[in-house]
Amino acid sequence: MSDSQLLPTGQKKINHLEMIEISKFFPGVIANNRVNFDVKAGEVHALLGENGAGKSTLMKVLYGLYPPEEGAIKLDGEQVVIGSPVDSIGLGIGMIHQHFMLVESLTVAENVALGLASTRGPLTDLDIVSQRIQELSEIYGLQVDPKALIWQLSVGQQQRVEIIKALYRGAALLILDEPTAVLTPQEVDEFFLTMRKMMDDGHALIFISHKLHEVLDISHRISVLRDGHMIGTIPVEGATKEKLAEMMVGREIGLKKERVSNEKSEKKLILKNISAQSDRGTPALKGIDLEVYSGEILGVAGVSGNGQKELAEVITGLRNVTSGQVVLEDEDVTGLSPKELINRSLSYIPEERMRDGMIKEFTVAENLILREYDQLPFANNGFLNLKNISTHSDEMIKSFNVKTPSQETTVKSLSGGNIQKLVLARELFRKPRTLIAAQPTRGLDIGAMEYVHLRLLEQREEGTATILISEDLDEILALSDRIAVIFEGEIMGIIDREEATTERLGLMMAGVVE
Amino acid sequence: MKKIQKTLAMLLLVVLMISACGGAENEATVVEVPADIFKVAVVMPSAINDLAFSQSMYDALLAIQADTGADSFEIVYSEGMFIVDDAAAAIRDYASQGFDLVIAHGSQYGSSLQEIAPDFLETSFAWGTTVDTFGLPNIFAYEARAEEGGYVNGVMATMLSESAVIGVVGPIETGDAKLYVDGFAVGAAATDAGTEVNTNWIGSFSDVALASEAAQTHIGAGADVLTGTAQMVVGAIGAAEENGALWFGTQSSQSSLAPSIVVANQVYRWEVVLEDMIDLIHGGTYGGQSFEITLANGGLVIEFNGDYALPADVQSAADATIAGIIDGSISVFP
Amino acid sequence: MIEKFFTEAVLVGIIASGIRLATPYLYASIGETFGQRSGVLNLGVEGQMLLGAFAAFYVSLTTGNLWFGLLAAMLTGLIMGLGMAFVSINLQAVQGISGIGFYLFGLGLSDLLFQKLMGTVVTVSGFRPIYFPVLSDLPIVGQIFFNHNILVYGAYAMVFVAWFVLNKTTLGLKIKAVGESPEAADSLGVSVSKIRYLTISFGGMMSGIAGASLSIALLNVFQQNMTSGLGFIAVALVYFGGWRPIAVMGGALLFSMVNSLQLWVQVLNIPIPSDFAVMMPYVLTIIALVVTVQRVRPPSALTKPFERGH
Repeated sequence: MSDSQLLPTGQKKINHLEMIEISKFFPGVIANNRVNFDVKAGEVHALLGENGAGKSTLMKVLYGLYPPEEGAIKLDGEQVVIGSPVDSIGLGIGMIHQHFMLVESLTVAENVALGLASTRGPLTDLDIVSQRIQELSEIYGLQVDPKALIWQLSVGQQQRVEIIKALYRGAALLILDEPTAVLTPQEVDEFFLTMRKMMDDGHALIFISHKLHEVLDISHRISVLRDGHMIGTIPVEGATKEKLAEMMVGREIGLKKERVSNEKSEKKLILKNISAQSDRGTPALKGIDLEVYSGEILGVAGVSGNGQKELAEVITGLRNVTSGQVVLEDEDVTGLSPKELINRSLSYIPEERMRDGMIKEFTVAENLILREYDQLPFANNGFLNLKNISTHSDEMIKSFNVKTPSQETTVKSLSGGNIQKLVLARELFRKPRTLIAAQPTRGLDIGAMEYVHLRLLEQREEGTATILISEDLDEILALSDRIAVIFEGEIMGIIDREEATTERLGLMMAGVVE
Repeated sequence: MKKIQKTLAMLLLVVLMISACGGAENEATVVEVPADIFKVAVVMPSAINDLAFSQSMYDALLAIQADTGADSFEIVYSEGMFIVDDAAAAIRDYASQGFDLVIAHGSQYGSSLQEIAPDFLETSFAWGTTVDTFGLPNIFAYEARAEEGGYVNGVMATMLSESAVIGVVGPIETGDAKLYVDGFAVGAAATDAGTEVNTNWIGSFSDVALASEAAQTHIGAGADVLTGTAQMVVGAIGAAEENGALWFGTQSSQSSLAPSIVVANQVYRWEVVLEDMIDLIHGGTYGGQSFEITLANGGLVIEFNGDYALPADVQSAADATIAGIIDGSISVFP
Repeated sequence: MIEKFFTEAVLVGIIASGIRLATPYLYASIGETFGQRSGVLNLGVEGQMLLGAFAAFYVSLTTGNLWFGLLAAMLTGLIMGLGMAFVSINLQAVQGISGIGFYLFGLGLSDLLFQKLMGTVVTVSGFRPIYFPVLSDLPIVGQIFFNHNILVYGAYAMVFVAWFVLNKTTLGLKIKAVGESPEAADSLGVSVSKIRYLTISFGGMMSGIAGASLSIALLNVFQQNMTSGLGFIAVALVYFGGWRPIAVMGGALLFSMVNSLQLWVQVLNIPIPSDFAVMMPYVLTIIALVVTVQRVRPPSALTKPFERGH
């Protein structure tokens, strides 16, 4: 750490920021209950917690998006009031949101200049802004073209723009909200280099992540929130994944699962030279060849947006192919409707569970019969059999361990993990012979994630052929028998799990052909 | 705060509704009177002061009321009913409120009336302009032989045009608009076959801006005399005045709008046929007949604008043409 | 037949009349462009125009001063715009529906005031074409470009002002950001409501001027429902122009010129049924829309109310 009180950007350091006894309530929920948190110049302080534990709320309080009900914020010993992002930016606090706060149709320079006073009064001064962006890029190795439009940039580049935006506004403290969730392993490495550089220069960094190995890799101190309470703050020395997971969930978690080896038997699903278009009409899949055997999980790894969504939709009949063939159990099913595929015992756990998986205004019971609502025992001659539906819901809620006040609760008021359990209950109850699981644990906390994994492995043992589409390499490595990597609509290669390493997969995900 | 906003929203909504209703339908002019009063309701596509089609009917009803006295003749109207569904609802309302005569003033209301009339056999309906009563016993039809005044205007226009180019601005090629324009052309051709009569149908009864632009197009093409029919011609009259072109009006008197350039107007006097209908209703006949206003029965009148100095030869030609049409020696559409 | 078209009088007539006819569309659509660029769809343009047209006409008639009339139209439009802003920003109403509400309000109130205050159609002496020494007397060019009233020139000037503001100023940057990603703008301290209030009330004011351009510059009369759907076409022209002022102007000019062309087609007795002639501007505009602007995306936040933290 350098001793100067100034950062290389010319900004004054924030030596110590403290959040003291912060409480924040929402109707019916205590999001933060007397939480203490602090961060110092030159350190990375990681904030861990399951979904809904109150991490985002705490950070939004710090950034001025929510006013806290109680508590105080002290900056270098002096109490400050942060009522809006204008205040926090003025104090040198910057935030990199999980969902980038960028205007896609504007250029990098325009995004950086937005909301700032111009040296030319009412006229923009984008040339001067661009020059400053270049300077900042050079200091931190964040290469980006100020004239490029945001939508033309890769996710990694967009993140650089977010960081530059914060630095441009003189951020001495940066809140990084799950910054690695959208990056490839190689991009994560680069991002960590940038983080270390900022840390060495004296920035204070708050790092929020789900990925325990990353937290252990980069942080100095780690704090864990659970149900709105601060469970504890520990130094990275001596911290282990198991210890952290236990702090987050409140009980012991088996992070490793036992896998029985299955003999490959029959080919269940074959994709032959499949091509398809995206919603925008651009080619999304370019000649995909895949085979899945019964009793096997085929992992499809890749950075999101490389054709995964289209792949799942093609197989489940939601999207037309432009060429190629889908063969399910020796039958050509190309172009069949979702209903016809369901009748062939294909199940689908969609990526957007709230949009494609559930009708959020419907009750738990109604959502559980969305597939078979018109069949016995749930309906007879067009009339719903409410008694059977009710019994079925109770059974499902129990056996899939769904936490819901009642089966009459609307799905929108449930947590992400419980909604995913409902999707699983509906899709697995039918004992599918083929299963497409798209990002099945995205956004879930460790406990729910563990549950989903167990269920998927259970299906594997029962002989289901599964395609697991995921961005989470840990998940892919933990569950798959074979791993296919998708990049820009093409399969870069298929490797056995035993031969797969993060590095090897990461290179393939970045488009390097083996 | 949320509550205040909701209250405000409700308040605003109420204000909006009140103003919307107040303007579009206007309040009915109901007068308290004895029981043997004759009650007439009329539904019109445009405003009662449109200087054209709707005003012609409203003025006619006022004329009857002036004759018989407000004590025994009650008028209620709904104006601006350019949406046929709204008009149909109004017609049904008036019928169910026990009006003696409900006038659907617009050929576009015909099919609605055909559905409504059989439900109210004790109510008499009138609609125009048309000759079709749908064979129903309680529908009167009325029509204006607009081609007659069109012919007279055509004769005068041709004599006054120095450039021998005349422009016509019409709404949609149908109904009395078409009759007037066709009659005008025949009259012009009978006077001087060399005069060019250009017609512009603008496809709208309300697009004042396009009517104005159509008039300017005629003037650009050399026209120095213009005519036109339906309520959007106020735009055309403005353009004519600005460019010093003469104007012939129809349906109502348009002289007040541009006294220096309006030569004459064919004015509809619906009271002539309305009085016949009212007599029949009193006698127990509620419909089944069709009426027309003509120069002969005094339902059509050529009104000369006193502020415009009409040359004597044109005046006498016009008088002769009117007389000829009345006595049958001139047939507009032989 | 066709050779009739290629006479000086006809071509000059079509272009000059197209330039004139485009005026009310331009004011209304440029105003609407700002609103939509910031994410608010205002379907009340027609109502704002009608009230503006009436205010301009009535004030001109009673005071005898056209500038007072214009000012009255601007104020009326501004107040209507503020109302629309309040409903769509503070109350977060569904914009399409509340816009229609404001249309009906303007339609009804302008008619009511017309009936109560004037009673019958009269004329005023509106803005006259400006005489430019030498230029106005030039053959062809003079007739096409230098023979219009001040509000016609104002409309075209506003197109370039709009282009400049949207592309060259920090305000324009904020407007675009608020319309594309209000969350991003908010996170940088840009007040989404303030910007939207500004654009919607400005749009209302422009609609008011659009109405005035009809009632005290082009037609010099006021009549019930005199805009006759023009305000809705102005909204459509914003889509046509892909939310870019210059292209919106192109659309307005195309639509207006084809409209004046169809008037000439009829006047020259070219044997096309009048019903088809009347359709021409609409058909051609649709074709142009399909052929030229397939790629333009509307502002992402269009019609979406913004609330922090969602």
